[in-house]
Formats: sequence, C-alpha cells, structure tokens
Amino acid sequence: MTWSSRLTVRVLLALLAFAVLARLPAGLDIGFQFDAALAVVWGFGILSLVLLTGYVGQVSLCQATFAGVGAYAAGMMVSTYHVSYLIAIAVAVLAAFLLGVVVGLPALRLSGITLAIVTLGIALVFDRYVFQDAAFAWFTGGSAGWRVDGARMFGQQMDSSRHLMAAYTVLVALFCGVALLMVNLHESGAGRRFRAIRDSELAASTMGVNLTRYKLLAFGMSAAIAGLGGSFYPLVAGSVSPQPFWLFTSLQLAAIAVLMGVRYVPAAALGGVFMAFVPDVLTRFGHGTFRGQTYDISFDWFQIAVGVLLVVQLILLPDGVWGDLRHRVLRAAKHARLGSRAGTQAKGQETRQEEVRLA
Amino acid sequence: MTMLRLRDLTVKFGGIVALDGVSLDINRGEILGLIGPNGAGKTTLFNCISGVIRPDAGSMIFDGRSLMFAPPHERARLGIARTFQNLQLWGSMTVQENLTVPMDALGRRNTFSDALHLPFSSYAERASSERARAILHVLELDQYARTLAADLPAGIQRRVEIGRALAGRPQLLLLDEPAAGLDAHETKHLADLLHTVRERFHVSMLLVDHDMSLVLPVSDYVYVLDFGKVLAKGAPASIQSDPKVIAAYLGEESAKEPKQNGTVVAVTRRHDAAPLLEVKQLAAGYGHLEVIRNVSLAVRQGEVVACIGANGAGKTTTLRAISGMIHPRSGRVEFNGRDITGKTAEHISREGLVHVPEGRGLFPNLSVEDTLRLVSNSLGKAPDLATAYRLFPKLKERRNQAVGTLSGGEQQMVALARAVLARPRLVMVDEMSQGLAPTVVRHLFEIIRMMRDEGIAVLIVEQFVESALDVADRAYVFEHGTIGHSGSAAELRADRKLISGSYLGGGVRASNGNGHHADPALMEVVSVKMPATLKRTLEERAEKEGRPTGAVMMELLGRVKA
Repeated sequence: MTWSSRLTVRVLLALLAFAVLARLPAGLDIGFQFDAALAVVWGFGILSLVLLTGYVGQVSLCQATFAGVGAYAAGMMVSTYHVSYLIAIAVAVLAAFLLGVVVGLPALRLSGITLAIVTLGIALVFDRYVFQDAAFAWFTGGSAGWRVDGARMFGQQMDSSRHLMAAYTVLVALFCGVALLMVNLHESGAGRRFRAIRDSELAASTMGVNLTRYKLLAFGMSAAIAGLGGSFYPLVAGSVSPQPFWLFTSLQLAAIAVLMGVRYVPAAALGGVFMAFVPDVLTRFGHGTFRGQTYDISFDWFQIAVGVLLVVQLILLPDGVWGDLRHRVLRAAKHARLGSRAGTQAKGQETRQEEVRLA
Repeated sequence: MTMLRLRDLTVKFGGIVALDGVSLDINRGEILGLIGPNGAGKTTLFNCISGVIRPDAGSMIFDGRSLMFAPPHERARLGIARTFQNLQLWGSMTVQENLTVPMDALGRRNTFSDALHLPFSSYAERASSERARAILHVLELDQYARTLAADLPAGIQRRVEIGRALAGRPQLLLLDEPAAGLDAHETKHLADLLHTVRERFHVSMLLVDHDMSLVLPVSDYVYVLDFGKVLAKGAPASIQSDPKVIAAYLGEESAKEPKQNGTVVAVTRRHDAAPLLEVKQLAAGYGHLEVIRNVSLAVRQGEVVACIGANGAGKTTTLRAISGMIHPRSGRVEFNGRDITGKTAEHISREGLVHVPEGRGLFPNLSVEDTLRLVSNSLGKAPDLATAYRLFPKLKERRNQAVGTLSGGEQQMVALARAVLARPRLVMVDEMSQGLAPTVVRHLFEIIRMMRDEGIAVLIVEQFVESALDVADRAYVFEHGTIGHSGSAAELRADRKLISGSYLGGGVRASNGNGHHADPALMEVVSVKMPATLKRTLEERAEKEGRPTGAVMMELLGRVKA
C-alpha cells in the first residue's frame, strides 16, 4: 500500500471511530456519561505515555500531574480571566508543554529507574504542595477549586452536567484527531528518530539525532497531550480538585498503559475506558448477595485487580492486551492468506513488517 | 590531503591513561587500519572521534574544523559516521527504516509537518527511501529491506550497520570491529565489500579490528596502538613483519630460558592421569550467533592448559559454556567423572570448578579480607585466609583496603585468591593479564605456577601467548570458533609460525606503492571548490564514461601538463 492510500484509510478510520464513539454513551444514564467523558480524559493521559514511553522509551510517573496542570490552568483562565474556553485550553496545553520540557531536562542525563524516581518526585511535589498549598491559590483556586459556570465553546453552553454530551463530543473529536497524528508520527521521519532513541540512544546520537532536542520535544509533546485531556476536566466534573491528579493516578496511568500495550495508540482508548468504567461499575454493582453470602467489591478491589492483571499480562501478553491481540489477528490473517494461496512462497517477512505498522 | 588530523590526543579514566598523546592522520579516500592488542585504546580513540567521550588534551581537526567540543550529532552533520562493535541497530525498525533515520536526521525536518504529513515531509520521505534502496542494493541487502533489524543474523546486521552509517552521506566512515564474529569466508567477503563501498560512496575509512586477515589486506596504511600509544605505523606489509608489532600481539619473547626439564618430566607424568575436565563437541553462542562449535578439550589433574588465539575466536565463550554462565547448545562437559553439561554456575563451582571471569568480577566496595571471607562463608567452611596470604603476601598488607582502590594487578590477585579459597580442583582464568603491565603479568604467571604446585589444575585464556606458553603444559589454539591446533606448550613454542598465522592472518595483498597514498580517482570533486559549470561538465563527462569524477579530472590535468 502506498503512503497516500494508507493515509486515506487512517483518516477514514479516525472519522469512523469518532462517529461511533460520539454516539455510544447517548443512551446511558448521566453517571455513565460522566465515565465516558472521564475515559477520554484518561485516554489522553495514556496516549501521552504511548508517545513518551512507547515511542521514545522514556519513563514517566507524573503524567497525571501534567493533566492536573492542564485542568488547573484551564480553570484559572476561565474563572480569573474570563476568556473563552478554547483559549483556556490553548493556555493549558502550553503550560503543560512547558512543564513537560522542564521535567524532560533530567531525562537528558537519566534513564530507567532513576528517571522514574525523579518523575515520581515531581508528581509528589505537585500533588502535595502545588495543588494543595495556599501559596498557589492563584493557580488552584484554593481549597474550593475552580468552578467553570458559563463556559462556552463553539457558541454552545458546556459547563454543567446537562451539557455533558457536548463537551464529550468535542473531547472525542480531539482524541481521534490526536490519535491520528500519533499514528502518522510513528511512521514519519520524526517518529523514526523517536524510535531510534528508544532502541539505541548511542546509535541515534552518532547518526545525527539531536538527543537534547528530541527528548525535550518528546516530554513536552507528551505533557501537552496529557494537559489537553486535563483541560477538559473542569467541564466534565464541573470543578477541579487535587484528588484526581494525585500521585496514585500517575502510577495507575503507567500501569494501565503497560497493561493495554504502551506502544499502540488504540491501547490508549482501551485503557481510558478501563480506567474510568471499571471502578464505577464495581462501586455500583459490586455489592449484593450471592447464595446467601453478602459481598462488597468496592473501588479498592480495582487497585488490586490492576496489579494482578499487570502481572498476568506481563507473563501471558508481553506486548500488552492490544499489542498481543494484534499479533494474533495478523498471524491468523497470514495463515488464512497462505492457506488460500497454497504453493506460494511464505510471506513471513511481509507480515512481520505489517505488524510493525501501527493499527 | 589530510581529512582528519589528531594531535597528542590524551584520555584518562581516573588514574588509567587510555590514550597517551596519540597523533594520527587520515587522508581523503584512504582506508586506514588501526590495530593493537586488547586494551590498547583503539575503542577509546574511536569514541573520541565520534564524540562519545571527550579527550582530556590534544586536538582533533576535521576538514579544517575543530571537533573537540562538537556533540555526536554535530559530527554526524559534518560527515563522520560510525558502526558499533556491539551491534547498535534499531531492532524494532525495518532495515530500510534504519537507513532513513540518519538521512532525515541530517536534513531539516519538522516534527509537526511530519505528523500532519504535509507535502514537504512526504517529498523528503520519498527521497530518503529512494536513497536507502540504492545503498541496500550496493551492499547486497535488497532482500532484507522490509525485515526487522533484530530478526537478522549478526553477520547481516554488521552489513546493515555499514549501510546505516553510509546513509548520512559521510566523508569519513569509522568501522569498529566489523569482522567480529564473522567466519573466514565472510571476512573475505567483507574485505571486498569495503573496497566497493569506498569506490561507490567516496568515503575514507578508519578500520579497527583484531582480525589482521581483514585489516592488512584492506588498508592502505596501518597504525598500531599499544598501551595507549602509537607503537608503529606503515604500509601493511611492513607492519606484518615489524618485530615490535609481533611482540605486542604475542607478548614479549621470554627472555629467560624456561625450566624445560621440569616441565617436560611433569608433562609425561601427568599424561597417564585420567582427565579432570573433558569437553566434547561443545557448541555455544549468544542469540543468533553461534560463537563456538565442535570444541573438544581436556584438562588433567594438576596441569596448566592455555587457550590462545585471536580475539573473537571463541576462547571466552568456551570458558563460559564450561562454567555454566551460558547454556551450551550441544556437546558434553564432564568434570571429575560427572556430567555437568548445562548445570547452573553455582552447582559447577561447588563441584570444584571455579571460573575467574574476564574483568575479574569483584565487588569494588568490599575490603580484601571481606571478599575472601565471603567465599569461605558461602561454601560453609571456616575461612582459611592463611593459605591465601601465603600465596599472595601482598594481599595481607592490603587486607583492609577496598578492592576497588587496588591496582589492576592486585585486583587480579584478589580474584585468584578468592578462587583458591574455594578449594577448587580446577581454576579457569580468563584474560588474566588484560590491561596489566608486563612485570605484573610475569608475577601473576608465577602465581599460576604456584597454584599448579598446590595441585590445582588451571585452564587459562591469554593474549600474551609467550608468557602463557611458558607456564602451560599444553595449549589449544582457537581459530574462528573452533580449535585449530593443539599440542604441548614446547611444541607450539617451537612452531611460532603456526601461532603467528592464527593471529596475524595469511598472506598480505601486494601493497601498491608507498601505502600512505590515496587513489586520486577517488577524490571527491563534489567537495572541491571550483566554478559550478566546470564541476557540472566534469560530472557529466564522468557519468557518461561511467568513471569516478576524480579520475576524469586527473586525466584532464595530465593532458594539460603534457
């Protein structure tokens, strides 16, 4: 397939995904509609890890912090400066991008576990001090947080739960667009440079890849993606509080990204849905009586489930749920093709190469 | 025409001087060979040129520009590309993608236009994949273009590395041990390939390799490094017969007459004993690479046996396969009458077979005494430090010092003492003298002799062939992953030609002229300053005649002179 036809297929897939996803929660109750919007917000968070960890091979345990900065920046712009929500989003993305570049600075020297600990420290600092400290009340709106009553986008009211679906539609459209860009990026020159850094930094630098520039760019872009998702949080939840962006969310984002397949863009959508819906389903339906025994599978079980699933996945599906699913489907397709054309040469290489291309 | 000029380059790692005032010139269009024994500083020099490490003193001028403070990616822009000894391809990318990365990393590309797939980016994309295909064609790699780099065998990966280095249109290609792990036939093929590459891509090359059978026939001029200094330089033919070079490679000629009588008697006595270690048809390797095959050897009670041979011949891998550090692929290892093939390293060491690995495997922060106690403790025996200190009196003086602060020779003593304390029946010592001065090495061999007198059999892998043959009763000569010759040490010592053949390679191609001289036909006319119309005329003419532009220009110049 040539480049342009592959691009056309991708654009059509993205449009299809938008058309389906935008309609999907329409019939659900308001609780699940909220989960759906939240799923896209966390989907952005995982997408940011697909770029940073999946493409560039850098570890980060502070993606929720970037989302939080996006959320607070958007809330501040709307509440304090009364700007249009679109401008608030732009400012939020920019703020997250800049913070990402700053967090990327230690990554120029560090890697692996040390980098993980540094980013964990950053997440802790923002969680405990910036998001909760009175000194930053201008940014966080104090302990009450920001409320974004009257926020409008594209001439439409988007602030309260009655307009949740409007905000959700914009979110999904953005998500499909960014996901499309990410898939394009993977195949492009810049994407290859990112992957070169992941596979061998030493070779990348001696082959002319400017490590400083591309690592900082990767951190900045990743943070911007997380921040973009976060900037919708005030619309979705009606207000901003530190709790959703605390340290543990960052860890959960990383765990679920790995669980679903950190190298694959569609895994971000899967991960977002998993992260938003499963705890809510557990709290809603996870208690009752079964054969006379009362049981209560509350939210706490979600954390345990993630841990257990992660262990199981690393053993059984080393490339993540989405990644291994893809390999299996492609392998089955290859067998089917070979079966239908018995006698032709094995096309192993071709298939392997197809596997490299993202979904 | 000097392209790269290095002057008095010095690199220190802590107290160790890795490069000590090295000066070197590479001319345009030339293939320069760089050889030297292990630890001579070849890779350090290489890393200096490609910018991986920064020299402490000296100067590096490339094309009139100082390289001292240029980061690696900047050097790639200037036209320096390299390959890696331990393959560094981007394994999750296809071969073609591997080649396009350096091409568009050097061009001005924009991440956002790439992601949006704007026309500018897609044009650049077409251009770079076009060039990638051309390079793959010259290197006979077309069929692998769409294969993932990690799925290729090591030999092909080495060729892809050369292709990737060429992709960035370099003027100077640095090749770090391109023949490592290749067999004799592949090495020959590589030699031809390098000449093709020079002619087709107009690059100069700096070639570092242990395998003289590659370096000597390919190079126009050869530098020999030893202990961080330039030991010799000259045309390949003169290098091969240079006594200094032979000494550096084979170790110094043993000055004193070895105690022939004692050794000979001992050998005959020991010949009757049943083998303590017997290795039959052993094969082992790493990943796709099979490093050793069909290796059979035996060590008897109280005997010193040496394994010698060029680097990459499979000596270290053999030791690792015996001691259980890697899993043998086929064959059988018997120790003390018991089958230990594929047993864990821990199990084998408890049987009384101790491996002192290359690089010694010490814990730098433990003191000498703690290191030695650790062995006794882990064996569940009372520490018997007296024996250790009797054999190594110097260690007693330093018993409270941290191992990391000792000199290289002393560290090696600690490693040997630790091995002795495990009360082994056989000790295998890998590259004991690596990076050590000759006097220290002599002392260590004395210790090996003492260990034999204590009744411990020793299997050594050694670069200093002369010293190794002095102390050994018998030796095996490794060649390309298997055993080429074997015999008593006295026999092998007498037949120096046999050994020097396996190190220094076979016949050298007749050198053309004085060696340090490049073919003017390969001069890069593209980089010569002259009016554009003149250049274009020259290029058109060269293209019509199917010859390098430089050759056409030289011919015209000759006609003008006449």
